[in-house]
Amino acid sequence: MQRKNFAVPVKLWASGCAIVGISMTSNTVLTCILALTGFLYLSVQHNWRALKSFGVFYIAMAVLLYLIRYQGLHMVVFSEFYVLMFWNLFAVFIVGWDLITTPPGELSAFMSRIHMPTAGILGLLVMFRFFPTMKAELKSVWLSMRNRGLAAPCQLLLHPVVSCEYVLVPLLLRCLQIADQLSVSAVARGAEASGKRGSYYEKDMTIKDWSCLILWSVVTFLFLWIGGVRA
Amino acid sequence: MIRMKDVSFRYLNSTEGVSGIDLMVNEGECVVFTGPSGGGKTTLTRLLNALAPSYYTGTLTGTISINGKSLTQMPQYTVARQIGSVFQDPKSQFFSSELAGEAAFACENYGFSAEEIRDRTDDAIVSFGLNGFRSRNLDVLSSGEKQKVAIASVYALRPDIYVCDEPTSNLDKTGAEQLAAVFKQLKAEGHTIIIAEHRLSWLHGIADRFIYVRDGRVLWERNTAEMEQLSPEERERYGLREITEKGDRTIQTPTRNTDQFPALCVKSLSCRRKKTKIFRDINFSAPAGQITAITGHNGIGKTSLALVLSGLWKEESGQVVVDGRELSARERRKQTWFSSNDTGTQFFTNSVSEEVLLNMKHSEEHLEKARSLLKRLGLYRYKDVHPASLSGGQKQRLAIACGVLSDRTILIFDEPTSGLDGGNMKIVADVLREAADQKKVILVITHDDELICRCDSEISIDDCANERKMFNVML
Repeated sequence: MQRKNFAVPVKLWASGCAIVGISMTSNTVLTCILALTGFLYLSVQHNWRALKSFGVFYIAMAVLLYLIRYQGLHMVVFSEFYVLMFWNLFAVFIVGWDLITTPPGELSAFMSRIHMPTAGILGLLVMFRFFPTMKAELKSVWLSMRNRGLAAPCQLLLHPVVSCEYVLVPLLLRCLQIADQLSVSAVARGAEASGKRGSYYEKDMTIKDWSCLILWSVVTFLFLWIGGVRA
Repeated sequence: MIRMKDVSFRYLNSTEGVSGIDLMVNEGECVVFTGPSGGGKTTLTRLLNALAPSYYTGTLTGTISINGKSLTQMPQYTVARQIGSVFQDPKSQFFSSELAGEAAFACENYGFSAEEIRDRTDDAIVSFGLNGFRSRNLDVLSSGEKQKVAIASVYALRPDIYVCDEPTSNLDKTGAEQLAAVFKQLKAEGHTIIIAEHRLSWLHGIADRFIYVRDGRVLWERNTAEMEQLSPEERERYGLREITEKGDRTIQTPTRNTDQFPALCVKSLSCRRKKTKIFRDINFSAPAGQITAITGHNGIGKTSLALVLSGLWKEESGQVVVDGRELSARERRKQTWFSSNDTGTQFFTNSVSEEVLLNMKHSEEHLEKARSLLKRLGLYRYKDVHPASLSGGQKQRLAIACGVLSDRTILIFDEPTSGLDGGNMKIVADVLREAADQKKVILVITHDDELICRCDSEISIDDCANERKMFNVML
C-alpha cells in the first residue's frame, strides 16, 4: 500500500521550518515563498481539498493586500493588520493543518518509536476522539432541547442561566460516560500491557520523504537569506 | 474451560451484585445469559472478563478459573489476551477514526512486531468483510457496522473466548443479522462464546445453552430444544422475548373504531440535507387513536422522516397536514413529540420526577398521572434519582414517560423497545395503547417484531427501483 502523505517526522520538520522562517524574517510580503512551498507540499500529498480551500483563502488575502497597498482600501471590521497577519502566517497554517489532520494511528506510531510513555500516547488518542464525539453529542443535545421546547428564543432570553445548565448538564454527564466507556474498552484490549507499543503504521522514510525534508530546509534557508533576518 | 465456583460479587457502595453462582462453560460452547434487566447478566460478563473486581470494584468471594488458572490472580492484560470483550455501545469504544488503526489497537497494545500487527489486522478486516470501509471515517458507519469493527478489533488479538454484553442493544434488525453471521463464524472456528442478551431470536443456531439470571441468581438452565418448547405463557412469566424468528409478522390487534378522518396526513414530503437527498415524495396518513408502526430498511431515512414530521428538520418540499391544516416546521414542533433512540442526551434535570414534569403544568391531576405512569413503568422508586444514573432500559422507559405525559397530539418514538426485556416491552406497548386511546397519533419507528404485532397498522418505507435515497411509501 503506497502511502501518499509524508511521514510524521517530515511533517514535524516542515512545521518547524515554517515557524522558524516566519518568526525570523524581516520581509513580511516575501513569506509567499513559504506559502507557495506549502501549497506544493499539499499537492504532492494529493490533499486536493485542503489545497482548494487554502488556495481560495490565500488569493483573497492577496487581492485584499493589493487593494490596501495600491488602491487605499480601508476596512472597518477586518483591518489591514489582520490581512497582513494572515498573509504572513499562512505557511504555518498550511503545514500545521496538515500535521493535525494526520491519522491518529500514524501519530501514535511515531510517538511510540520515539519512546513516548504509553500513558501519553493513549491520552493523545483519546483527545483526538474527543472533539468529533463531543460535536455529535452537542448536536443531539440541541435537538432534544428543541423537541422539549427548551430552545425557544423567549426561553433562552428569559432564563439564560437555566438554559446553559440544560446544555451543560447532559453534556458533562455524557463526557463522563464516554470517558468511562473508552477506558473500559482500552483496559479490555490490553492497554495496560507493559513494554513498548507496536504499530500498524511502522514505515520507513522514503526518497520522497527525504526530498521533502531537504526542500523545506533549502527553501527556508534561501528565504531567510534573500528576505533578510530580523535584527 | 471456564469454571465459576460458588461466586458472589457485590459492587462497592451498592446492594447490587450476584450471589451463589456455579457455572461451567466448555470449550467451543455458546452460552447465553438471559433474564430481566438489572438481574445480574452484565455483572456475570464483567466477572468473566475480569473487569470486575479490577475495574468495577467490589467484593468477590468464590473462585473463577480459566483452564484451571485463577482469573483474579492474573493481571488484566493477560486476561484480555485470552478473553475478548464486546460491549453494548460500539460508538464510544473507538480510539481511532479509521478502520485499520482501530482494528490494530489491541495488537499494538501488546507490542507485536509491525509485520504481525499488519497480518493480524488485515486478516481480521478481511474475515469480517470490512475491506470496503478502509478509507471511510468510522463515525459515519451504521451501528451494525460499528459493532462489527469493534469485534474485528478483538478478533485481531485471536482470543479463545468472547464475552459479550448485550451486543445488539444498539442495533436494528439488519445489524443483529450481521452480528449473527459474525458469531456463527466465530463458533465455527471453535471459539467459546458467552453472551448476555435479552433479544434471543437472532441467537437461533448459535446458542447451545440458555441460563436464566434474575435478582443476582441463576434460576434455571435450558438447552436450545427445551427453550423452543417454552409456551408463550411461560415466556411471559419469565419476561422473555421470542426464542425463534417468526416467519409471519401479523398485526394481532383487532381493528378499532377510530375516526375515519386521518389526523396526520403527509403529502409528497421530501427532505434534503447538504446536497444529499435523504428521502423523496413520501405520502401516508395516520389516524388518531391508533399506533402506527413505521418500518423499513436500515439507512433509508426513517429517523430523518421523524425529525421532519416533528419539525426539528425542515422539509425540502411537500406538506404535513394535521387535523386538516397544513403546519409549518415551527408549528409542528409545538404539537409533535419526538423521542430519539439515543437516550444519552435527552434528559436535562436532576431527578426522574423533575424530568417528567419539565415544562409542564403542575396541576394535581397531572402529578397523579405522572405518578401512576412512573409506577407502571417501574420507575417510581427511582423518582429522586438522577436520570443519568439509570440503566439503558430505564432511560428508554423514562423517555417514553416524558413523551406520553407531554400534552402534544402527535407522539413519535424511535426504536422505543430496542433495549427492553420481554416484560418491559409489553408494558411499553400497553402504555402506548393507552396514549392512543386519548385520541393521540402514535408513530413508532421500529424493527421489533414483537412490538409491531401490537400496533394497529404498519407503514413500510422501502426502496423503489433499487435506487438508494429514492423511495416511496406504501400504505
